[in-house]
Amino acid sequence: MIRSSALSLALGYVALGLTALVLFAAPLWYAWQVTIQDGRAEILQADAQRLTDIYKRDGADAVKTFIDTRVSMQIAGERILLLTDASMHPLAGNLRAWPATVPQTPGNYTIQVNVGPHGDQEALVHVAMLGNYNLLVGRDNALFKPLQTRFWYGLSAAVAVLCIAGLLVGLITRRALMSRVHSIRQTVSAIIHGDLKHRLPTHLSDDELNTLSRTINGMLDQIELLVHGVRNVSNSIAHDLRTPLAELRSRLEELSLIRPSTEETYAEIDGAVADVDRVIRIFDALLRLAEIDAGMRRSGFVSLDVSDLAANAVEFYEPAAELKNIDLKIRSNGPLPVSADPVLLAQALSNLIDNALKYAPQGGSIEVAVQRRDDLRAEIAVSDNGPGIDDAEKAKVMQRFYRGDASRGTPGVGLGLSLVQAVAKLHGSALELLDNGPGLRVVLSVPIDASSASQREAPPQAAPASDVVAPTTLASLP
Amino acid sequence: MKILLVEDNERVTQFVIKGLQEAGHTTDHAANGRDGMFLAASEPYDVIIMDRMLPGDIDGLAIIEVLRKAGKRTPILILSALSEVDDRIRGLRSGGDDYLTKPFAFGELLARIDALHRRAEGVDHEIPLTVGDLHMDPLTRKVTRGDRPITLQPREFKLLEYLMRHAGQVVTRTMLLENVWDYHFDPQTNVVDVHISKLRQKIDAEFERPLLKTVRNAGYTVTASD
Repeated sequence: MIRSSALSLALGYVALGLTALVLFAAPLWYAWQVTIQDGRAEILQADAQRLTDIYKRDGADAVKTFIDTRVSMQIAGERILLLTDASMHPLAGNLRAWPATVPQTPGNYTIQVNVGPHGDQEALVHVAMLGNYNLLVGRDNALFKPLQTRFWYGLSAAVAVLCIAGLLVGLITRRALMSRVHSIRQTVSAIIHGDLKHRLPTHLSDDELNTLSRTINGMLDQIELLVHGVRNVSNSIAHDLRTPLAELRSRLEELSLIRPSTEETYAEIDGAVADVDRVIRIFDALLRLAEIDAGMRRSGFVSLDVSDLAANAVEFYEPAAELKNIDLKIRSNGPLPVSADPVLLAQALSNLIDNALKYAPQGGSIEVAVQRRDDLRAEIAVSDNGPGIDDAEKAKVMQRFYRGDASRGTPGVGLGLSLVQAVAKLHGSALELLDNGPGLRVVLSVPIDASSASQREAPPQAAPASDVVAPTTLASLP
Repeated sequence: MKILLVEDNERVTQFVIKGLQEAGHTTDHAANGRDGMFLAASEPYDVIIMDRMLPGDIDGLAIIEVLRKAGKRTPILILSALSEVDDRIRGLRSGGDDYLTKPFAFGELLARIDALHRRAEGVDHEIPLTVGDLHMDPLTRKVTRGDRPITLQPREFKLLEYLMRHAGQVVTRTMLLENVWDYHFDPQTNVVDVHISKLRQKIDAEFERPLLKTVRNAGYTVTASD
């Protein structure tokens, strides 16, 4: 319990409070004592002086009479008076005998005496010598007792309140803290056991724990995304690499068993290399997808002209479109600077045009349109007049490795649209598959680069030079 | 060409050395960072092929950095299993000239080494290019074959220029994608082949001797010899 941080914090505050209290009370107490002591000593001295004056003027008997008068008038116990002769025999006063603890030398002493109804009382006495007589004047401290008691009571009460309140606050804080820590711990242990769906409870407030919880939740989101990505990728790898690897294996095994002619062997080896290339191609696509999913490419964002990028992509596919007698055209309204990853955006656009080329019929048409939208985003749309996609199939086509019935028999590994989707997501956009009536219209958007949006004349920044970004390794061999 | 290969994997080493030998190059080999650093610093090489991850305490990038600081300008091709874009950028920033990820096709490696070597020899962008009876003037952007002028689209011009600058060498599809279109990804289709055949239509179709040839399992080359 002592190890609880809330409790030890509360205890610390209690200790601090107590110290402050002591630091406040001790000087006060001291000052009070000194003032009272000094004041009373002065009064006693004045008393003694008066009696000395009487002695000097009228002799010992006058003093005796004076004392007797005073004693008889007095309220018992407040004042102490005693006059003795040289042999300490009491002559007058309200003490029966000279107190044993008081020496016969002039000065102030504190003694315990029994005068009046309260039994032994503390009293301050003053001793003076009147010729051969000894005089003792004093006052008991009973008058100050209640004040003193009240002071101590007050102090004790303050200490008690401080301790109890401190302890209580400590316990309550600890309890509140423990309940929140407990819920965090439960969540975390659920996560440790593999359920990444859980999130730490958060409230609207901005206290330390809440801020921490929110940060941790953000971290968990990212971790979940990564784990999900890894899981997806490994599932996909297991699923999709099996086929080409199986083909490769049987090809090589057959080669080893049959041992055909040299010519045939070479052909088979070339085939095997092509199989491996296919495996590598899938690997690269998956790795790139995972890389995009993990959001690691955000550092690659630069300002670029999306119209220029689209025009280049269209130009790149132009000859391929000509071969199929497809009318591939671009529609844009001049330079449009956006903030995007040039490599990924080009790849996404190239995937979309490639897809459209695959599905558009002979003599069909494809349009790539780039336009500024009101929400500070640039929209890129690729439309074709091919068969389009059924609503039922739209969700499926973006799944990894999914290949629609229409695509069977066409080359590709089924990662194209999921890559485009990942790229769109990286640029803060969804991938929309719309009906082009007939055909498919795929739309994504990228943020307009606000910093260079004003300077339209600025030369469009193309993708980085080849020295800066490295080559893709895939030897795309026939 | 004299080439240094710094690579610890035996299989890859054998494969590369044998291939380079067949292509007429002499190759020195170092199997760890220390030997690699020593050889690279003391011997003159035309090209260095550097594996990124090496046994021992010196890795490929560290060697490259040391060499560059020492003023050695030998072209270096980095060979690595790390394929992410950031890894590549780091590799090239450390002073490498090109980056090839494992696994790779030998044709790709050879073509890139040739290109690196040629680049190191210096390229004059103003000197007219000639392959056989095909002429290109980069300044006036005029292309002629024999005495017939050939009209090319800007991209076709760039494609032919790149091929002619590497005349006699094999140029892979990936190299064309990177250098002509600035595309650093694999478009998964044969679009480059379509561009090549279009170009071939313009420069070779009406002539007896084709200059633009397909190299099986590797890429293309522009050459006057057979």
